[in-house]
Amino acid sequence: MNRYLPLAITTLAILAIATLFLVIAPGMQIRGQGAAPGLQPYTEAEARGREVYISMGCVYCHSQQPRATAQAPDAERGWGRASVAGDYAYDAPHLLGTMRSGPDLMDIGDRLPSQGWQLTHLYQPRAISSWSIMPAYPFLFEHKDKAAQGDVVVKLPPAYAPETGVIVANQEALDLVAYLRGMRHDYAPPADGLRDDGYALMAAQAKSKTEAAKSAQ
Amino acid sequence: MTDKNKQDPRLPDETFEPYEANRRIPLPVYWIAIALAIWGVVMLVQTSHSTLLADKERAALDKQDVAANAPVGAEPAASGKTVFNANCATCHGEFGTGSVGAVPPLANSDIVKAGGAKLIAQIAMRGIDGPITVNGTTYDGHMPNFASALDDKEIAAAASYVARTFTGAKDGVSAEAVAEIRKASAGQDPWAGGAELAAATPGLPAQPSAPQAAADMVQNADVATLVSQGAGSVWSCASCHGDQGEGTQTVPRLAGLPAAYIAKQLHDFQQGTRENDSMAYVAKALTDAQITALADHYAVMRAPSGARPSLDGDLARGEQIAREGDWSIGVPACFTCHGPSGFGVAPDFPALAAQQPAYVAHQLAMWAGGSRHNSPLGLMAGIGKALNDADRRAVADYLASLPPVPATPKVELTAMRSDAQPAKETTNDQ
Repeated sequence: MNRYLPLAITTLAILAIATLFLVIAPGMQIRGQGAAPGLQPYTEAEARGREVYISMGCVYCHSQQPRATAQAPDAERGWGRASVAGDYAYDAPHLLGTMRSGPDLMDIGDRLPSQGWQLTHLYQPRAISSWSIMPAYPFLFEHKDKAAQGDVVVKLPPAYAPETGVIVANQEALDLVAYLRGMRHDYAPPADGLRDDGYALMAAQAKSKTEAAKSAQ
Repeated sequence: MTDKNKQDPRLPDETFEPYEANRRIPLPVYWIAIALAIWGVVMLVQTSHSTLLADKERAALDKQDVAANAPVGAEPAASGKTVFNANCATCHGEFGTGSVGAVPPLANSDIVKAGGAKLIAQIAMRGIDGPITVNGTTYDGHMPNFASALDDKEIAAAASYVARTFTGAKDGVSAEAVAEIRKASAGQDPWAGGAELAAATPGLPAQPSAPQAAADMVQNADVATLVSQGAGSVWSCASCHGDQGEGTQTVPRLAGLPAAYIAKQLHDFQQGTRENDSMAYVAKALTDAQITALADHYAVMRAPSGARPSLDGDLARGEQIAREGDWSIGVPACFTCHGPSGFGVAPDFPALAAQQPAYVAHQLAMWAGGSRHNSPLGLMAGIGKALNDADRRAVADYLASLPPVPATPKVELTAMRSDAQPAKETTNDQ
């Protein structure tokens, strides 16, 4: 170890190039993209619900990034159109997620807009789908003898309903559901929106291959 | 060297300072580096190729949307024909001859002659729901309204085309006039047959009077609560299917589906022959009487289309599958069973027009994969398997671009139910 200077310079240069291409260039690209036209800022309840979403760790199982039709059948699943950078303008930090242990939630408010469904499902997912692996969140709810005025009572099947009294959603559950119901990106994306088009070529090649096979028949 | 000599030669040399000698980098390291660099460049070129291609595809899709929404401009005369052939000819025929006993003719029709293009625009904007007499023959008219499917220019072009081509009228109707008709028609029920049309337009031939619908038939309080608020453990229907039963994403449009079809699906959910966790949850909590009442509620509902093409499907390919089928893959036209323009054929074939595209594509995939298997003759399984992903999206998007179905008129449903009344009461007693 007696050539410190060249070693240090090479190390710094490699780091600098990586930072330039992986941090600075994409940062500049994204900074040029404002909020997508049609995207609404979060309401107060939705913003609080977003905090609940983060604190409950929803992001570990749910992504928020529907793929283009070239890559995955997300649109056919009702998960919504492929997202563009402008869709995340009000998300800091973004909640893109890396896992799809559960379905993508970018357009959950469009797909399942029912407050009643969301509350039941949050209280006990198994009440709806016996095979669901999603954790239940009963601690976001309260067991009361009688619903007070303004309380939102959770609809439950007999097997999961308490023997007496009712289950009432507390503020955190209501905020979280408000956030989920607000997750709808059904407006047309901007034409110049930044998006992942990396699979378009592969899809086009596959398409021309099937067409060639068909015409050969 | 003198230091070294002093050390005991049997011990390892402890004063030796290692140093770097110049040695060539081994060749394989060069190869790997060069290979990585080439790979990087290839990826870069391929990705930019891919991005360009996707941009081109998007531009083509946009053009397709523009072509579908505003074909007026370059060739006004031709585009009227295009709109007519795509939207009207599916029922009225390419030459406006209608079909005997079911669809009134447009060619030489006394109504078109008397009312001109303006009347056609008025009818297209609201639809018809009642008997209408054309050239001396009375038809049981239910025509959908095209207000949500076509824009002012398209309706103007098609109405002018019909008036000029089929009755030799000189005057058409302008897009501005259609815009005013649209304003006047907003929120109006469909024309209650020829009688209402004759009252609004002077000079029409004599028209039969519209029968009075039993409006209170389906408005039973139990169903209204179920739909808007839910009951017991059941969520409100409208909270997912929409206030007007128009559906969203994979939640289907219910407005105007045949009552018998809706009831069958609910029973299938109940018994597990059709799979959907949320709907099984709901259906298991419903009584037979509630299912019948809900089916009636949605069957007579008329709602504007809530669907629009959203799956990047090829609309021309979708239209081909829906109207002609594709025998090279063994798929018959959707419309042969689901009725002209996909309006549905009660009781077994649901309407497809204005259905949510994600729902249609999703169901087709489920037929193909076998997780939906409740069609009467297993017809849909074969069709689902024959369509590939792009075809599913194409046909779903095309169906979403169609105007919504004409709902079963309340009068007809009342008649059907009063025939079936005794049977229903006995089941209730059990």
